[in-house]
Amino acid sequence: MKCVKSFFTLAAAGFLLTTSARAGDVKVVANNSVTVSSISADDLIGVFLMTKSSLSGGHVEPVVEQGGPAHEGFLKEYIHKTAQALQNYYRSQLLAGNASMPKILGSDAEVVEYVAKTKGAIGYVGASASAEGVKILEVK
Amino acid sequence: MEAKTLSLAVALSLAPGLLHAQFDFKLDGASVQVHSFASEGFALTNQNNYLTMNTTDGAFFTDFGLNVSSNITDKLRVGVQFYDRDIGHLQEWHPVVDWAVVDYKFSDWFGIRGGKVKTALGLYNQTQDQESVQTWALMPQSVYPLDLRSRTLTHTGLDIYGHVGLRRAGSLGYTIYAGKRPNDTRDGLYYAWAAQGYPNNAFTGKMAGTDLRWTPPLTGLMLGGSYAAINDKYHFTDVSNGPTPVAGTLNSTTMWIASAYGEYSTGKWRFNAEYRRNLSKYFQVDPDPGQTEPFWYSDKGWFVSAAYQLSRRIELGTYHSRYYFDVHSFPEASTHYIRDSVVTLHYTVNRLTSVKVEGHFMDGTGDPYGSHGFYDADNPQGLKPTTNMLVIRIGYSL
Repeated sequence: MKCVKSFFTLAAAGFLLTTSARAGDVKVVANNSVTVSSISADDLIGVFLMTKSSLSGGHVEPVVEQGGPAHEGFLKEYIHKTAQALQNYYRSQLLAGNASMPKILGSDAEVVEYVAKTKGAIGYVGASASAEGVKILEVK
Repeated sequence: MEAKTLSLAVALSLAPGLLHAQFDFKLDGASVQVHSFASEGFALTNQNNYLTMNTTDGAFFTDFGLNVSSNITDKLRVGVQFYDRDIGHLQEWHPVVDWAVVDYKFSDWFGIRGGKVKTALGLYNQTQDQESVQTWALMPQSVYPLDLRSRTLTHTGLDIYGHVGLRRAGSLGYTIYAGKRPNDTRDGLYYAWAAQGYPNNAFTGKMAGTDLRWTPPLTGLMLGGSYAAINDKYHFTDVSNGPTPVAGTLNSTTMWIASAYGEYSTGKWRFNAEYRRNLSKYFQVDPDPGQTEPFWYSDKGWFVSAAYQLSRRIELGTYHSRYYFDVHSFPEASTHYIRDSVVTLHYTVNRLTSVKVEGHFMDGTGDPYGSHGFYDADNPQGLKPTTNMLVIRIGYSL
């Protein structure tokens, strides 16, 4: 039991010292078939947690980056989950039979390319990334 | 421990890494995903054999799964998952269809899912086998016992589900279901009854229930509740009183499971808690014993847990889990509880692989007549009151 108590003590100290890092600048991009020009923060969470698969009657699907500053910034600013927690969430949904895995890509350029050619796709990229061929959604 | 057993365990622990794969491909224009997962565990106790394994000498346990799913259209999805495990006397390499579903989502708030479906019950019922998504090497056994998992894991029937926005009050996810529970002849209940002279022939029934998950407007918080009404039917053979086997049947007249649970995550912290209660009332109907009073059985379990992501690769966790069965039904039982305090180190090796090292400090041995980790058949010398256990588990998943 001593080690349990020690862990709780360390855990409590760590909790107090936890600081929130500044979220990276990201922009939310969508295929041109997505009819809306803005999206609420709640709807954005719903899209990326796969509880929301339509916006204004049109089908939408999330596109996720595997890692990197845009991914970290997006999760911190909008989804409020760590990268590990989001990955576990997707795996849980998949392995429980509740959903398929979203498309996971390796870079901003891959995300833009995929979103541009995939009907209903919504992704995110770094603020300085090119958004050619996709539309940028304002997050309200 | 035999060298042969050790060699087999090492081979099995390496094989998933080679087999491990995720394939995405198109079939007739539809995207098909193939995923797999596996884990190899090792458990060592200072006294008392646990979960039907010879843990006092050190025991390996293995599981793996393979799933294939496809979004046929934006609204229609089909999928199947195969699962197998070898944990002491549980399953012993007899693969099963873990789930197989056809899912049609009319809208975000209304979908229908049919087939063999993972039952929405509590925080982790649907994902308790998925070692890769859990912090723990062993889930809190008070609520998610490895030896009784199949009793509530799935149902063959129909689910209605959806997600409803509640404006300022957050959102609500719901599942309503009904179906038949599978008859798992390789779980702990069969093992325990057979050891007591009552081999089961069938143990199944129907179940219907609901699960509600509320995400309030407080970031990181989720609260939920589940309720399942169950109809149970045991068909058993009594070989304990003489050379002539006697067939018997127990029917449940009342049986339900209720669960309340919550999760809160903030920054690198995650906290979880769940409380679950089971109540059963049985009548023996064959052979007719002239029974006028029902046989009552009830138990409850709960756990609280905390986990902290220390770094990108390291997560530390702890939980305290308690299980009680109704002492009034079994007044002669020496201990009617299991208390388990746990500390875990979870190390993520890479995107596919993780290692967990976990210490369990258990007090009590629970229900000696049922099955909840500690079995008389595995402990012929008698059960000791406390058990400490080391668990190491390597997992692969994508």
